[in-house]
Amino acid sequence: MYAKEMLKQSLPLLIFCGLGGIVAGSTLGGMVQIFQKIPGLIVVIPAIIALRGNISTALGSRLGSAYHLGIIDAENMWNGELKQNILGSIALSFITSVIIGILAYVSSILLNVYPDPLKLITIVILAGVISALILTQLTIVIIYIVFKRGYDPDNITGPALATFGDIVTMLCIFGSAVFVEVIL
Amino acid sequence: MIYNWKKIVRHGIPLLALCAFIEIFAGQILQGQQDMLIRLPIFLISIPVINGVGGNIGSVLGARLASGLHVGYISLDIKDKKMHENLLTSILIGIITYAVLAILIYFAASFSITPTEHWIGLIGFISIVLGAGILLVCVISLVSVFTAFWSFKKGLDPDDTVAPVVTTVGDTLGIVFLFLLIGVVGI
Repeated sequence: MYAKEMLKQSLPLLIFCGLGGIVAGSTLGGMVQIFQKIPGLIVVIPAIIALRGNISTALGSRLGSAYHLGIIDAENMWNGELKQNILGSIALSFITSVIIGILAYVSSILLNVYPDPLKLITIVILAGVISALILTQLTIVIIYIVFKRGYDPDNITGPALATFGDIVTMLCIFGSAVFVEVIL
Repeated sequence: MIYNWKKIVRHGIPLLALCAFIEIFAGQILQGQQDMLIRLPIFLISIPVINGVGGNIGSVLGARLASGLHVGYISLDIKDKKMHENLLTSILIGIITYAVLAILIYFAASFSITPTEHWIGLIGFISIVLGAGILLVCVISLVSVFTAFWSFKKGLDPDDTVAPVVTTVGDTLGIVFLFLLIGVVGI
């Protein structure tokens, strides 16, 4: 039956993605003391997770299309087209991180919470750019393995990047917040 | 050269900036409830799970509807039987997934969090997560159908539009429904 088939195909992957979410959430749960020390930090969490998901799945699906069009393949991967794609993703991450930092600061002031703008925006930019560097490299590795095996990248990169992306991003926010709190 | 990084940035920024704007609302709700979340970090662990599952279910449904509309076995009609079947299955899958994950979160949390005097019982926790999950999956599935149909009617590819819309809606409403259920069930 139709419904039974859908259930069998998507339930395991959904639960697997949920397990990734538990790992990301546990990192968030471990950050309670930092949230108390840096007001306004919790505001950027949903935005930065969404940013990561949107940018890296878009990169994954662009590289998937490039593969189908024959622009990149496993033997000839590190070419100009790939470099433009990676540069584009990193530039997008940087610009969007700045936007998120400013929006979080301004909206907090409107609600009578006064974060330290320098600290808050530095944390968001550091977390956004470092996670972009890690995840673009991870995307290339995943795409390379998928090419070598002859699978369709469109079926694999989305869920794989969504799951790893959340975990890597949470660890990057955690690391950047600790780093900034110690330095500034 | 087909790809150009400046073009990628120019095409990406408007949608990403809009998403960032909406997600900041979700973040401000978290800020408003920060004291409660610090007292009961089990709900911090739940947030990425509730939002992520909602977004995934909405995206899968959207991709299925997009294929159906492109191929032609789903028609642009609110009474389409195939669409109803997809919608109901999505909601059913959502309920099962949230029930399984609520139990897993509870046990993961009892390992990673040192229990304080503020703790929550298994039944209370499952009612909150499952309740919020059911509300979210119903709303997100309807949003997914609406976005897919609307995009297709306007000549846009639902494959491009549904995913960003449902992830953003999922993140915002996931947090809203979680606090709603915490209020209703009580902690």
